Amino acid sequence: MSVIYDHFERHAHGEGLKGRTTHYCPGCGHGLVHRDLAEVIETLGIQDRTILVSPVGCSVFAYYYFDVGNTQAAHGRAPAVAIGHKRANPNSIVISYQGDGDLASIGLAETISTAQMGIPITVIFINNAIYGMTGGQLAPTTLMGQKTTTSPEGRTQAMGMPLRMAELIAQLDGPVYVERVALYDAKHRIKAKKAIEKALRIQAEGRGYAFIEVLSECPTHLKMSPEETEKWVQECMEPVFPLGVKKDLVVEPWWNAEQTPSFDPGKVLALVGASKDAPTRHAKGFPAHMGGQDISFKLAGAGGDGAQTAALLLARAAINEGFDATNIPSYGPESRGGTSYADVHIAETEVLNPGAPDPMVLVAFNAPSLMKFAPTVRKGGVIIYDSTVIEDLSKLPALAPGIRMVGVPLTQLALGLERPMVKNIVALGAIQSVTQAFPVETFLSTIRTVLKDKPALLPLNEAAFAAGVRHAALIPA
Amino acid sequence: MAMPASTRPKPFLEPEYCKACLRCIDACAKDCITQGDHVHPGTGMIPVLLDLENCNGCQLCIQACPEPYGLRPETEREVSGGDFELEDPAALFGPKPGHLVEPVDHPGTEIPISAREPLMLKGTYASAIGALLAGCRHVFGYPITPSTEGAELMAKILPKLDGAFVQAVSEVAAVNMMYGCAGAGLPCATFTSSPGFSLMLEGISYMIGAELPGVFINIMRGGPGLGNIAPEQADIKLACRGLGHGNTHGIVLAPSTPQEMLDLTRLAFELSFRYRNPVVLLGDGYLGQMTGVVRLPKTMTQPGLPAWAVWGDLEHRRNLISSILITEVDLEAHNIHLNAKYADIEANEQRAELYRCEDAEIIVVACNTPARMAKGAVEAVRFKGVKAGLFRPITLWPFPIEAFEPLLVHAKQIVVVEASPGQLQDELRLALSKAELGHPPISSVQRYGGMLPEQVEIEARILDAARMMEEVKA
Ligand code: SF4
Ligand code: SF4
Ligand code: SF4
Repeated sequence: MSVIYDHFERHAHGEGLKGRTTHYCPGCGHGLVHRDLAEVIETLGIQDRTILVSPVGCSVFAYYYFDVGNTQAAHGRAPAVAIGHKRANPNSIVISYQGDGDLASIGLAETISTAQMGIPITVIFINNAIYGMTGGQLAPTTLMGQKTTTSPEGRTQAMGMPLRMAELIAQLDGPVYVERVALYDAKHRIKAKKAIEKALRIQAEGRGYAFIEVLSECPTHLKMSPEETEKWVQECMEPVFPLGVKKDLVVEPWWNAEQTPSFDPGKVLALVGASKDAPTRHAKGFPAHMGGQDISFKLAGAGGDGAQTAALLLARAAINEGFDATNIPSYGPESRGGTSYADVHIAETEVLNPGAPDPMVLVAFNAPSLMKFAPTVRKGGVIIYDSTVIEDLSKLPALAPGIRMVGVPLTQLALGLERPMVKNIVALGAIQSVTQAFPVETFLSTIRTVLKDKPALLPLNEAAFAAGVRHAALIPA
Repeated sequence: MAMPASTRPKPFLEPEYCKACLRCIDACAKDCITQGDHVHPGTGMIPVLLDLENCNGCQLCIQACPEPYGLRPETEREVSGGDFELEDPAALFGPKPGHLVEPVDHPGTEIPISAREPLMLKGTYASAIGALLAGCRHVFGYPITPSTEGAELMAKILPKLDGAFVQAVSEVAAVNMMYGCAGAGLPCATFTSSPGFSLMLEGISYMIGAELPGVFINIMRGGPGLGNIAPEQADIKLACRGLGHGNTHGIVLAPSTPQEMLDLTRLAFELSFRYRNPVVLLGDGYLGQMTGVVRLPKTMTQPGLPAWAVWGDLEHRRNLISSILITEVDLEAHNIHLNAKYADIEANEQRAELYRCEDAEIIVVACNTPARMAKGAVEAVRFKGVKAGLFRPITLWPFPIEAFEPLLVHAKQIVVVEASPGQLQDELRLALSKAELGHPPISSVQRYGGMLPEQVEIEARILDAARMMEEVKA
């Protein structure tokens, strides 16, 4: 068998007889499935494409034997590891070989989700109704009443009843082929090998995911001779875990084994939105008149007020002018309906601290935002608020000295354009007019860049911006 | 398949490979196989006996034998050399599996990219683009705020580049998909946040054990438990000291701007492959959400395929990805190897940014977003004539103690600023202690639960420290 190593170099460094014998107990079903699997890999001619994922359990050392690509996985995670391999090299044939504790207990979530993905991998599930490696504990497939070291009086209902994995997997939409087989006599061994071959063929042809459950013998922990164990599997296990094909769909090949990722730089740059065109600069210099080399803004409102978009446009305008800028949105539950605010900094060279606990400019879209943030605005700062919705300033807390309050009817102006949602763009116009941070053209070209894929929205946004500029200009300083 | 019975090979058995399970006896309808009667001196088992007079070569006994070198068809006898002396395993077993093609490193290439205008990106996006430019075409993840946007961008872009974004059933599955993809030799990443990172630690330990590369972008949020989704830095301990069970370490990078989210993500891939080890990029929720200017690099990477990969082809067939070494001797040797790697990393990969530290008497130590507040504070107190400087570790593990040491000559106070209960300070103290360096008093500004240290409180703390310095002088 060319798929089994000539010499088990990894088994105790291949010393002595270990170089040619398995680590399995006498009569263990694993060896039989290994033999079948190796022969099938050879028959199908897929040795140079195959990756075997060994699990945790008695078959943890399956990689001692198979002359294929080998990966050993964490307990229960073999199918996830298999998906990683299959995604990395879609042409590889990936086998997830697992026992009952691995597949049906600790790895149940990976087992089911991977099956449902339906990506062509092959899962070989060795069900021997007991934990082997750890020494004979209760398995998810242990029979009712069966004694194990952790069910010394026999399995009871409260320990959970035996899990029928083949049936469970078969009722999912992802898999195309599911069969339960056994090894207890020659006839069934032939069937088992055929099932394994079919499962691997389905993968090799790119048709989908296949799952083979093998009722297997663990003479050691059943404390029986191999022969008695074969009988036990037939007489006790099989009635609980009926053999046969559980699902067999005819599916056309769909998996693209040839897929290779693109590293075309042009494509990558286009996808990340990188552009060669330098934005035109309109500003004569940094707006230091606003108070230094680093100016902070806070834009605050209710969820749908558009404070975040306005903040982004403001930061982008600064960047288009060749300055540094940062924008931090409030995020999370508070952005779902409650107050939504954003901090923006623009700086001549580098924004040191991007937070704006004491902004120079506050834009408040509603009364709660105004009440909350107005007292934080620093000396000599500006507060722009929506005078349509904030009429009463009598409850306003004490402000720092020299603050200019500018009421602009943002909502009303937006309603004049029959689109209340553009009040944030109206606000941007007001910011331009009141602060003279950058020229009108800076903002307009920023709006144009952002809307380049939605040209239909441009006239409306330009009109909203102009309305904000116009109206704020009328307000005496 | 079906050969006439007469031409089918009969079985043979090398008795030393028989485990005496007797499964073959039942399989033979011709009663050719019987239980043995004497113990084999080499194995201590009683091999079965074959009498093939009536044998029709049906091979059913072979199919019943769980041992690959147990019952075998007569035709295989020549291949493996027939009778041989047990004492000479080399002659016994013939060529080892090393006879296959010798795998070699297929190096990656750097592809020039034409000059582009700077982008305006939020931190998570910048990191995602950094990963793309580093050649990563495989991202595995599970949605968690505040890191999800990075995954979302990858879900949008990767299919268009014939790569894959896979949303796993959990972070546990995600990290194991990375284990598989990295095992195949390709760069892969995940975007996660603190609770998700906790779940990935098991897998990270396995990746370290199996020496696999992979980049973990952890946008830290408030904890413990479900905590909240606001920014925190309380995974520093986990990333620097607790990457899963066992003897683990991984390089921990701490960006503080969207630009660094891109640059350090690229670097993370490079380091991850250089050392065959996972790399953690620790950002905070604020940084993940923060938008800033990001300039693209001059090249992007097309990854190659390392010699050790389990790719699923002839060249790499001999390879094994595994973290299990069952004998104590082997596992100790592996740990010694890992320790040497960690020492190598500690010697070569320390990184830090020093801001106005040349003459600083008060050294402010901070990373991620709090480092920016701290920078603002340093700038502000400098106007007041206080000699403060910012020491910003860019690698948290290894801690950049070599860059810190010279500052101790003029440092009279150290202020550690962090959104965690002293985890950064612990790293600093441990590094000082391991380097056997004496140090001036350490005080701190700490905020928790999603609150970040504010510039004003940092300034106040620095001014306090300055006063204490004066008192000492007086
Ligand atoms: S404990 Fe059971 S399953 Fe494990 S090797 Fe022994 S017989 Fe096989
Ligand atoms: S090949 Fe058939 S007949 Fe011959 S020993 Fe084996 S089972 Fe018996
Ligand atoms: S099946 Fe194989 S191992 Fe078991 S007794 Fe027969 S020859 Fe020996």
